[in-house]
Amino acid sequence: MARNYVGGDTVRFTRKDLTLVDMEYYDGTIVTDLEPRRLFPVSGGDRYITLLDKKGKEQAIIRDVNSLLPESAEIIRAVLREYYMIPEITAVLDINEKYGSNTWTVMTERGERTFQIQNRHSDVKQLYDGRILIRDTNDNRYEIPDWTKLDKHSRHVLNSQI
Amino acid sequence: MNIGGILINKEIPTELWEKLENTRAEVCGKDEKILFAVVGDLTMEAKYGISLLAVTEQRSFAMDADGKLLRAAAHADLKKAEVKRMYGNARLILTAKDDEKIEMFRFTYAVATLCDMAADYITKISEGGDAARAYDAVAAGYEKAMCVCPRCGRKLLHPGAECIACQSKGKLVKKLAVYVKPQLPNLILCMLLSLAGTTLSMLQPVATQTLVDDVLLGDNLSRLYGVVGFLLGAQLLRHIIAIIRSYRLRVSGDNMVYALRNDVYAKAQKLSMRFYDKTSTGSVINRISGDTSTLQSFMLRLTQEVVVQFFTMIGIVFIMFGMDYKLALVTLVPIPFTVIGSKIFGKKILPFYRKIWRRWASVVSILTDTLPGIRVVKAFSAEARSGDYFKDYNTEWLKVDKRSARISTAFPTIVSFFNACGTLLIWFVGGIWVINSGGADLSIGTLVAFISYASMFYTPVNFFANFNDTYQHALSSAERVLDILDAEEEPDRGKGNCPKMRGKIEFKNVNFSFDRTKMTLSNINLTIEQGDIVGIVGTTGSGKSTLVNLLMRFYDNYEGDILVDGINIRDIDLGYYRSQIGYVQQDSMMFRDTVYNNISFSRPDAQVEEVFHAAEVANAHEFIARLPDGYDSMLGERGVGLSGGERQRLSIARTVLMNPRMLIFDEATASVDSETESLIQQAIENLISERTTIMIAHRLSTLRKANKIVVLDKGEIIEMGTPEELIAAKGKYYKLIQIQTMAEQAEADKKEEGFE
Repeated sequence: MARNYVGGDTVRFTRKDLTLVDMEYYDGTIVTDLEPRRLFPVSGGDRYITLLDKKGKEQAIIRDVNSLLPESAEIIRAVLREYYMIPEITAVLDINEKYGSNTWTVMTERGERTFQIQNRHSDVKQLYDGRILIRDTNDNRYEIPDWTKLDKHSRHVLNSQI
Repeated sequence: MNIGGILINKEIPTELWEKLENTRAEVCGKDEKILFAVVGDLTMEAKYGISLLAVTEQRSFAMDADGKLLRAAAHADLKKAEVKRMYGNARLILTAKDDEKIEMFRFTYAVATLCDMAADYITKISEGGDAARAYDAVAAGYEKAMCVCPRCGRKLLHPGAECIACQSKGKLVKKLAVYVKPQLPNLILCMLLSLAGTTLSMLQPVATQTLVDDVLLGDNLSRLYGVVGFLLGAQLLRHIIAIIRSYRLRVSGDNMVYALRNDVYAKAQKLSMRFYDKTSTGSVINRISGDTSTLQSFMLRLTQEVVVQFFTMIGIVFIMFGMDYKLALVTLVPIPFTVIGSKIFGKKILPFYRKIWRRWASVVSILTDTLPGIRVVKAFSAEARSGDYFKDYNTEWLKVDKRSARISTAFPTIVSFFNACGTLLIWFVGGIWVINSGGADLSIGTLVAFISYASMFYTPVNFFANFNDTYQHALSSAERVLDILDAEEEPDRGKGNCPKMRGKIEFKNVNFSFDRTKMTLSNINLTIEQGDIVGIVGTTGSGKSTLVNLLMRFYDNYEGDILVDGINIRDIDLGYYRSQIGYVQQDSMMFRDTVYNNISFSRPDAQVEEVFHAAEVANAHEFIARLPDGYDSMLGERGVGLSGGERQRLSIARTVLMNPRMLIFDEATASVDSETESLIQQAIENLISERTTIMIAHRLSTLRKANKIVVLDKGEIIEMGTPEELIAAKGKYYKLIQIQTMAEQAEADKKEEGFE
């Protein structure tokens, strides 16, 4: 089946729910209850958003959210923000190693958080662009967008982990 | 835990309890009791913060940390409750009878399991289910979820289990002591030898002093013979001692690393699949090969040089103070610099060692990943790309290593510079004293001897300064080796329990996810009678193989129970249990060994003719007999030289030989042509007789003997019954049959027309 790529010139979106949207083609066809999901949750950001219907079947792909009408784009971004909770760590307050497990206390844009890392080698991933992806023992994700831009204390605390 | 009759996952402050009670009174009235509560970690806007979900028999409500009631719903008005999993967070959504959705509660995966149970409970109650039974399920879930180590808060495998992280987290030295202990007599001998050697070398400056003051300045030729002769003897003895000591030491070291390596490897065999899902084999290999050697040299240094150098240092300090305490004090001047320097250095270098290792582990991972896949690399002409890929990672390693080299090479030189300054200082200060006093306060001989002692003194100082480097290096190695030695083994709490098995298998409310983000299997309820042949079908990713993985006990962290003959499989001896199941996989791995050994891998003590029989049953004997080397044929890493079908038959022979009670075929014929398939199929049918058999198959033709079919979709059982029942029901199975019959028909037509 050919992929159905959509953009601002073919559709617009209205919000249905915390994570659901309706998609309306300009010819009047409406597809309801679509769930936008990132095809590249780790690397992609606003590019390649798939729209899944209730059965998990793909109805369309948005190549780039920025190509949508401004209101539609905002709706998609808002929905994605709800769905993908990858708090950005703005400061690393403390990393405590005890009994072989690492407890991190960090400040995120959603508030302070303490979590545990099971394995420093596999659960803290550093990418080339300075990003650090973190997975805690409960499989929650966190991200440091650019560790070189953190404050001095944070970088110092982090230094032994990366 | 259970506080005041309420199951709750976390302790909360008293004032929050009061607020909860007030809210309860407000929402529920007098007599309704809260049964359980979930302390969540997100607000509805997905900010971090405490929120509470409380459930009574009649209703559920959510409140925030200020005690404000957020939402409430009576179970009688509801149709169902479900947890909607998103990425990093999830929501509990209630559906009312009029299909209105209520966003009840939002949380991270930390409490997702509890919310799953809450959803189950609410759904059961709103469907009019038995409240007491639903509550029991919740209580059991809480007990399991709350089963954490009181010291470190890690999840335990089952209530009362010992915490693997805490029980043995002793000091590094204590851990390694196990390996040092057997070598102790040898090591003590070496230490004594080395002390003797050091004492001998300490005599030398005294002899020098005599040589200068009495012999040279005193023109005493006969004493010259004596002193030189004495020194020669001392040197000879010292070097003989050194030879014996080095040999003994090397042997002890080898013994230690030998034992350590064996243990790490043996332990690596026992680690759970979960460990290997998350850890690359490259990093495990690196630990067994590299880190153990680092530890060996560390243990030797620790037990030998540290002790010896320490005594040398103390001894020399005594001698020097005895000779001239003022000059001795001068000698000590560089020490504070060295000590402080080494502290700073240690702090700086440890992160580097970790970094270097991590980069190196990624390099090794690429080796272990790509070299076995060299065929794919060549097929896509990706040699250059593959090389570049490797280079990228290797460059990362180089960068870090270079940076650490800057520190680690500069430091020893700086220390020896301090020490050289110390020596100069002695020359300077001592020289002035000798000249000013005309040798009365300080003789030339004493000064010369002092200089020798000072340089001997700085050797241990240097050693201890640099020891930090070795120590940090070893520490990072030790961490990784202990990572394996301390890692959770596959749980085997039923060790020794080997009940006779007949082969009735039951799955009871089994839920499973690899990570908490997505349920791989949900709500699996399945009974397989002894002797049943069960076909499991479903699209790829529907959870077929996972189901079998759970039955094989490759993963133990599922919810619900799996029973064999009514016994929970987690309570059965693991080794025994697996020996009762024959597991034939899609891509069967052959070891680098002979055909014979590959078959008898499942039962190394089997008689030759039993192996022949097994090969015969598996339709493999004939082709083996045709091989030039017969049963002695060597197989390569992936059984190079044999076709997929032949390998598959060898792996069936392996299974036949172990004579299991239950059989699992995981797409055993998926990767072979139809002619080979029929050979394998025949082999399988030879094997099945009376045994409980589970077959996962893409080709439904494989399942013609099955008396029960289970259709999986997205981790759930959607159809189950005899093939006839399912065909009559015209559901998914019926559709699959139709599609495949059509495809087979087309194939047959093509053949008829002479197309191949």
